[in-house]
This record gives sequence, C-alpha cells and structure tokens, in this order.
Amino acid sequence: MDAWVRFSAQSQARERLCRAAQYACSLLGHALQKHGASPELQKQIRELESHLSLGRKLLRLGNSADALESAKRAVHLSDVVLRFCITVSHLNRALYFACDNVLWAGKSGLAPRVDQEKWAQRSFRYYLFSLIMNLSRDAYEIRLLMEQESSACSRRLKGSGGGAPGGIENAGPGGPGTPGGGLPHLALKLQLRVLLLARILRGHPPLLLDVVRNACDLFIPLDKLGLWRCGPGIVGLCGLVSSILSILTLICPWLRLKP
Amino acid sequence: MPSFRSPAPAAWRRLSNRHFRPPPEVREVPGRKARPPPRGRGDSICPAGDPATPWRTRDCAAGGTWPRLGVMDAFIRFTNQTQGRDRLFRATQYTCMLLRYLLEPKAGKENVVMKLKKLESSVSTGRKWFRLGNVVHAIQATQQSIHATALVPRLCLTLANLNRVVYFICDTILWVRSVGLASHVNKEKWRMWAARHYCCSLLLSLARDLYEISLQMKQATRDGAEREKSLPQDPPGYSVADEETEWLQSFLLLLFRSLRKHPPLLLDTVKNFCDILNPLDQLGIYKSNPGIIGLGGLVSSLAGIIIVAYPHMKLKMQ
Repeated sequence: MDAWVRFSAQSQARERLCRAAQYACSLLGHALQKHGASPELQKQIRELESHLSLGRKLLRLGNSADALESAKRAVHLSDVVLRFCITVSHLNRALYFACDNVLWAGKSGLAPRVDQEKWAQRSFRYYLFSLIMNLSRDAYEIRLLMEQESSACSRRLKGSGGGAPGGIENAGPGGPGTPGGGLPHLALKLQLRVLLLARILRGHPPLLLDVVRNACDLFIPLDKLGLWRCGPGIVGLCGLVSSILSILTLICPWLRLKP
Repeated sequence: MPSFRSPAPAAWRRLSNRHFRPPPEVREVPGRKARPPPRGRGDSICPAGDPATPWRTRDCAAGGTWPRLGVMDAFIRFTNQTQGRDRLFRATQYTCMLLRYLLEPKAGKENVVMKLKKLESSVSTGRKWFRLGNVVHAIQATQQSIHATALVPRLCLTLANLNRVVYFICDTILWVRSVGLASHVNKEKWRMWAARHYCCSLLLSLARDLYEISLQMKQATRDGAEREKSLPQDPPGYSVADEETEWLQSFLLLLFRSLRKHPPLLLDTVKNFCDILNPLDQLGIYKSNPGIIGLGGLVSSLAGIIIVAYPHMKLKMQ
C-alpha cells in the first residue's frame, strides 16, 4: 500500500498508468472488433479510450516547462553528440507538449476554431523527431560500448599470451592474415557483432529498456502520420509495452538511462 | 515487500556518470549568498527547519530570504507531485466558478462566461483522474491516525479518514458511471452519499482543529498568567459592562495570537472551513451562491498549494 501511495504521488506515474490503460483499450477494441463482439461493448471501450486520451491531455498541461528545463540541463553535457541529441530531443518534446496543449484547448471547447487535424499532425511530427533523436543517442551509446568492449577483449587476448593475431572480435575490416574471406567471413563477422551487441545490451538493462521503449514508441507517430500504417492492433500493443517499460523505470529509478 | 532501490552495478554507474562537465566555477560576489547545490527530484522546496519550531525554516526565523531556487525549478518540482498539480487545477476550477458568478449578470460577456464554464467542466472531469486510487491513501491515513497520542485527535482523525475512504469509494463509482462503463448507477444517490461523507470528514477535521486551538489558547493563557505575576498589578477601576467586552476582546486576541504562532493550524482550519461550504450547499443544509463556494474553494486550494509547496506547514499529528 505504501508503494502505491509513493508511486501515485508522482504526477508522471499517473499519466503513464493512464497511457497504459489507453493503449490497452485500443488493443482490446481492435481484438473485440476482429472477433466480432457486440457493438455496444466496442462503443464503451472507444468511449473509455477517448476519456483517457482527453484526461491525459489535461494531466500533461505544464510538461513543456519540464522538457525545456531538461533541455537546459542537457546543454552542460561534455560529449558533443550526446549534447546535441538529448537537447534537440527535449526541445522537440517541448514543442510536442505545446501542440498537445493547443489540442486540449480545442477539444475542451476553449478555442473551438483550432484545426484539430493540423495540430495533431504537427504534434506527431515533433514526437517523431524526438524519438529519432532518442534512438540516435541510443545507437551512439551502443557504438561507444561496443568499441570499449572490443578493445577490452583485444587487450585481454593480447595479455593472455599472443592469441589470435589482431583478434577476430576487432571491429576492423578483417584480420591481416585472412585472404579475401568473402561471404562466410562476412557472415561470421556479422554474427560476432550481433553477439557483442546482445552481450552489451544484456549487461546494461537501462540502455536495453530505452532502446525497446523508443523502438515501440516509434510505431505510433509512423502510423498516425501515414508513413507506415501498421494498424491499430500493433499501435496498441507497442504503446502498451512502452508504457509498461516507462512505468518500470519510474518504480525502479536505477533502470533509467542517465543523463 | 521487496525493496525497489537496489544499488546499480558499477558498470551502469560508469555509463551514467561519465558525461557531465563540472559546473563552471561560481565567483563569490561580496554580499551575495551562494546558490545552493541542485537538489534531486522529490526533495521539498524548503530546507528542514529547527526542531523547536518545525514549521519554520532557518532562513525565515533569521529574517533572511528563501534559498534562491529558480522559479522554473520550483514550479517543476511542485508540478511533479500529483497533489501539487491537483491543487493547481482545483484553484483554476474554483476561480472559473467565481468569475462566472461575477460576470454572468453583466451584458455582452456571454462568450467569456461560456468559455469559463467549459474550462471549469473539463478541468473538473480531468481532476477525477487524480482522485482514482486515493482510497488506498485514505486507508493508509486511517491506519496512521490510530496511533495518535491524545484521545480526541485520535478519535476525530480516524473517523474523518474512514469517512474519506467511503467518500473516495463513492467518487470512484461516480467516475465509472461518468466514463460510461456502468450506466445503471444512480448518479444522484451516489453524489449525495459522497457529499454526506465528505461533509462528515470535514466536520470531524474541524473538531480536531478546534481542540488543538483550545489547547494552544490554554497554553497561551498560562504563559500570559505567568508573565502577569511578575508585572505590577493594575488598580481595579472598571465597570461590569466593560468586563464583557473586555472578555470578548481578550478571547479574540488570544485566538489571534495562538493562530499566528502556529500557521499550520491556521492553514488547516481555514482549509477545512472553506471546504465545508461546498458539501453544505450540495446537501441543502446551508444554501449559498456559486460565488461564495467559488471563493471558498479558491482560498482552500491556495492553502493546499502552500501546504504542498512547503511541507513543514502541514499540520502534523502528534
């Protein structure tokens, strides 16, 4: 009980729960439609989903300020690539929340002349940019870690008395001793790369969580903008998975990728 | 209950700590206080005070300024808490109610009045999401209030929290109805039940506040009597009629002094008193106009905002 009280005292936690519920409703609605459930039940689920969506928009009022502050903080990072990626991502998030606030004003009747479609498209565009920046940042982190791991491996191989010349796990274009390997050689290298990637991600759960979350989230704006129509079922499932993962990072703060 | 605060392994800490530049050196300008180090999320806005007067901060007692946190920083820390956001929205809702009451009789303001009504209803609907799950909060508060030391606060607080539990249950049922999941629920009946239990819980909280005020006044009288013993006595030259006004004056002065010395008690009393106007109107016990209810709601929301922003201003249970 104490855990629920502490968890629900954060406004972000409640918003994430509502998001999880919204995408669960969307997934449920799609499943019910496919299996031919009664139209009344479908209507109820759709109504609940729209209530959740509007409620979430209200809960998110004021998140622009949070995103701007995070962007301000991110400007002090020492690494140039990280600084660029994270700052631009937060700025795009701030713009996404601003568009979202305009949509709320339109839906709640305060500004009835707001063009809902136009502002919705705008908000999804900013959301997409911010997700792309997040994924670039994740890719950069993975690349740094892979370089670290492979250099550590080659140092270990050299230290253990000779070993393979150059080290097969080296990220170079191919060992000096291998004459024109061709396809099997490339396949072996690819396999090793994938194994290294798997090992890195397994050893750094915050990074893995962030990658999966951003990848799942990416389907939502892609579908809404019409770039890659995956259907409401996939969108619902991806949204639900990413909401559950972000709730996990709220419950266990050490699972959050910092900075 | 498993602890969720496991320490991160060394490798992850390396991943997280390596990227920040040290902040630029702050040059000491003479006469200016240095900025305090940035706090983490979840820290209260104000530093802890000294134990003798726990609701005061050191800065306040010394007559100095509050620590200079950025306004954005403080706003974000405030809105990160569910209660903070909820109080802000509540203040907005009741401000709309008050403004609507003031602007309705005026001609040419129909558009503004309609917009205020829409804002009020959308904020009120949205606030329900903040109240979902508060049953657990109220049950926990009931468990805590059973451990109060004095009998009267223990009784009042426990019963008040039990009433709050029932209120939140009724509120959840009303939410289920408003979202469309259970259309056979009788809205009026459950609304009356919710108002009744909310009213009872506020009355019991007010009873507890009155008890605490009476304790403080007794304490103040005792202190005053001790001080008077050491001072020379005034010659008795007053009439019987003056005696009554004297009594009323000294009572009010004592009340004012006790409340001024204990802002948490004042805030809690004002909050409960302003809150009770709404259910009294809903139950038909004391019908007032939307203007009074809006003003009362706004004042109590502001008191609530102060309590969330400055946690030492919350009336603690002994």
